Amino acid sequence: MTTRTADAVIVGAGVLGASVASHLARSGHRVLVLDRGAPGREGSGTTAGNLHMQAVHTKRPGQAVPLDSARFLPLQRAASDRWETLEEELETSVEVRRTGGFTIAETDEQCRELHDKHGWEAAAGIPTEILDGDAARAALPLLGPTVAAATWCDLDGYANPLKVTPAYLDSAARHGGRTLAFAPVRRITRNGDGWRVVAGHGAAERVVDTPVVVDVAGPWLGEIAAMAGITLRMTPVAIQMHATVRSSATMSHLVQHIGEGLSVKQVAAGNLLIGGGWPALSMDLAGRSGTSLDSLVGNVALAVRVLPFIRDLRLLRMWAGPLAATPDEMPVIGEVPGAPGFYVAGGTYAFTFAPLWGETLRCLIEGKPPPVDISDLGPGRLMVPAGGSARDNGLEQENPQDRRSKRC
Amino acid sequence: MTAERSAALHGEVVERDVVIVGGGPAGLSAAARLASAGLAVTILDEQPELGGQYYRRPAPAVAEQWGDHRPDGGRLIARVRAAGAECRTGHLVWGVDDDGRTLLASDAAGHPVRLRARHLVLATGAFERVFPFPGWQLPGVTTPGFAQHLAAGDHTTIGERVVLAGSGPFLLPVACSLIELGVTVVGIAEAGRPYRPSLRALGALGHPARLRELAGYVARLARARVPIWQETVVLRADGRDRVSSVTLAAAARPARPVRTVEVDALCVGYGFRPQTDLARMLGCAVRVDVASGDAVPVTDAAGRASRADVYVVGEAAGIGGVHAAKARGLAAAHDILTREVRETVPVAEVRRVASARRRLARFTALTDSLYPGPAALLATLAPALPADTMVCRCEAVRAEEIRATAAGSADGDLNATKAWSRAGMGPCQGRECGFAVAGLVRSVAPRPGAGDGESRVEVFPSRLPVRPIPLATLLELAGPDSQEGDRS
Ligand SMILES: Cc1cc2nc3c(=O)[nH]c(=O)nc-3n(C[C@H](O)[C@H](O)[C@H](O)COP(=O)(O)OP(=O)(O)OC[C@H]3O[C@@H](n4cnc5c(N)ncnc54)[C@H](O)[C@@H]3O)c2cc1C
Ligand SMILES: Cc1cc2nc3c(=O)[nH]c(=O)nc-3n(C[C@H](O)[C@H](O)[C@H](O)COP(=O)(O)OP(=O)(O)OC[C@H]3O[C@@H](n4cnc5c(N)ncnc54)[C@H](O)[C@@H]3O)c2cc1C
Repeated sequence: MTTRTADAVIVGAGVLGASVASHLARSGHRVLVLDRGAPGREGSGTTAGNLHMQAVHTKRPGQAVPLDSARFLPLQRAASDRWETLEEELETSVEVRRTGGFTIAETDEQCRELHDKHGWEAAAGIPTEILDGDAARAALPLLGPTVAAATWCDLDGYANPLKVTPAYLDSAARHGGRTLAFAPVRRITRNGDGWRVVAGHGAAERVVDTPVVVDVAGPWLGEIAAMAGITLRMTPVAIQMHATVRSSATMSHLVQHIGEGLSVKQVAAGNLLIGGGWPALSMDLAGRSGTSLDSLVGNVALAVRVLPFIRDLRLLRMWAGPLAATPDEMPVIGEVPGAPGFYVAGGTYAFTFAPLWGETLRCLIEGKPPPVDISDLGPGRLMVPAGGSARDNGLEQENPQDRRSKRC
Repeated sequence: MTAERSAALHGEVVERDVVIVGGGPAGLSAAARLASAGLAVTILDEQPELGGQYYRRPAPAVAEQWGDHRPDGGRLIARVRAAGAECRTGHLVWGVDDDGRTLLASDAAGHPVRLRARHLVLATGAFERVFPFPGWQLPGVTTPGFAQHLAAGDHTTIGERVVLAGSGPFLLPVACSLIELGVTVVGIAEAGRPYRPSLRALGALGHPARLRELAGYVARLARARVPIWQETVVLRADGRDRVSSVTLAAAARPARPVRTVEVDALCVGYGFRPQTDLARMLGCAVRVDVASGDAVPVTDAAGRASRADVYVVGEAAGIGGVHAAKARGLAAAHDILTREVRETVPVAEVRRVASARRRLARFTALTDSLYPGPAALLATLAPALPADTMVCRCEAVRAEEIRATAAGSADGDLNATKAWSRAGMGPCQGRECGFAVAGLVRSVAPRPGAGDGESRVEVFPSRLPVRPIPLATLLELAGPDSQEGDRS
């Protein structure tokens, strides 16, 4: 149990932890990434891996507050640029496919939303094009008859999540960064101007002194912050994904829905991945979250309605994964007020944002101006004063089961 | 609230006293006993006929010409039907509903069926334990079980000159069946050294029927002059359009060739692995069997799992052969009848079954001790597997990719290795390659994930669906609107 030092300790080897580790290591910092399990197995290993460049549908099924698209889009624009050069930066393929995507609408109301969305996108410099149903079907004949309109965006895409996190960690390792798997962080205490982090158990226990702690523990972000005496309002939820066997039909674009939980794409191997934020049956932050038949059936019915050819495929498997949402559904990133050297980053769509947030955190840690304005996204807005609990502050611990409420 | 949602799903819901999954010797024995006591019993099997592996029914034309190779199976099936059990063949049980107890099945036409019962009996049997080698994708290379099915069900031979390899007692009856069909069994390569002169003596000793049966097969093979090469394993298979030769190696030195044999078929299998997906999906506790490395459900003597309404019987609860499977099925039936208090099972009957079960368990332990434990075998075979051997055939993942992933950031974690290498992610869902992938992971990263119990269970997690199912089946569950492709 010797004490080691590091320039930064990163708690969580998900895509955000891996990205910031790579950014810091590449600019010469000695970083140590700690994970309680194998790296990239939680949100970042179960994610759909979509690169959301046009506006994301503003509400997942059951989500309480809509996302502020107008504020979110400039960030998406900035993230998009970084995905463009990521493979070069990481010196390996992570199956980035920027083949564009459709967001479809079926009802009049959804068509109106599509037009609003188009306006925000134009303002943020994200090029989208509005197509009526027939034009959308002409562009993608696999779309079904209920599609009334769609936006098309060249920049949409996806990457293989099973490759992105390892590639970032490898990049960090090439620059001297270290990753310790199966080393759960258990204690974080003030140590002079910096922090002392204790991870692992028994003979495998590690004690590390560091000026910088980066809390990127996804759904456990709040739990890690609490170790340092910081109470943050975060809501972990679990959602699920569905994969079909390989299909010979080719669909190279991402297809999403403006009003309902749906995202469909065909991955490099030929399988179709169907998701859209449908709730898992249960969330189990200690093990594997359970999948729900109702969500499966609902998600598949929607997918088949929009893309009828899917009807002839077989379901290969399904899984659930956890993600951390903030009460306002916006990302959280920044240094914790009153806790110098303690940074947090997370929130939904962190896969899309991983390259941008890795760079942003590096800038913040180095005291340089970040590439995008994040002044309103800091953890301050989520902090609960000492002595208060999340519940006292009006945060409803939402029961994942309640998320079933909204359906087609 | 869950029940409410589920009620909104379409498709029939069958309510029974007992639902039995698996129509092999174990499930049939339980069904016959329970139905004859008057309980409402449904037995399901994904195969078109009841019988399971051991009592697999011959095709009608074959039965007419060659007779039934296992008439006792036919009699047992007839008893189940006569006792009034509802038999649903062609029904795949592929998952569990959100309430955690309703089974999801699809019938032969792909229509969904949901079943609920006070007692669930899982008699899902086993699947063959395979281990890859260079050339195992060649046509003509199969498992002993497949060769046996062809022989028993279709009276068809797998080839004319065949080598059987692997480990375990099952290689012997398969060899005998092939010989009966006129096949030249060129030899049997057994990874262990079970066949000593003492075997026959052993068999005579305490009347262990199974050992005597084995000794009988050995004698028949000796008469047919079939060599048994002990402590021998397959190094590789060669051929152009089909396997034409097999090269064998000493088990202790699995990378060095000792002999090459001309064949037109090769059957390799290392015994069986319990099929436990459904038990695990229902949340039944499993333990790791140290000798086999398999996860086996934790059950009491009657087969009752950690969940009081679930029984796991037959090979699904641990490999033990047909007689043990039947005894376990009956023991579960007795336990259910006692709990239902509709009938007190005669003490003598309970005693007879319990003592048969204990005796068979002892024999199983004895025969098992003759053969190398699969976990130990894996530890010698996995490191010797050439780097470019295709281990996961569905996803085309080679041994070296699995090793690199396991030793790299997956850090010895089986599931992380699966996710990152794609081994086990294809349509067979890891049933074929799971054993080998676990061995490869262990061989390069011996430290299992820092000591938590779950990560020592060397099997891929059980996920719905148990086998790939048509999305059309799900649409039917969603209701008629979704099927027509209209707005719901
Ligand atoms: C099913 C699903 C679909 C999604 N689809 C998309 C999508 O299409 N596009 C998109 O942009 N986003 C998507 N998301 C969201 C996105 O995947 C996640 O926001 C993102 O991967 C989270 O990354 P992370 O690094 O913040 O957290 P995670 O990947 O969850 O990583 C957190 C890590 O912290 C570790 N940790 C926890 N406690 C400790 C401890 N005590 N000590 C050490 N380590 C600890 C965990 O083991 C874990 O590895 C999806 C999420 C899910 C679940
Ligand atoms: C390929 C193979 C061939 C074998 N051949 C022989 C042999 O020739 N001689 C011998 O002594 N032993 C043989 N065995 C061993 C044999 O399995 C046992 O001795 C005996 O059959 C075990 O009986 P059981 O009832 O436990 O399982 P099984 O006989 O295996 O029966 C299990 C049944 O469950 C059904 N099932 C499984 N999962 C599902 C599901 N999800 N939904 C619906 N149905 C399901 C299967 O279709 C099967 O019919 C063989 C085993 C295998 C795997």
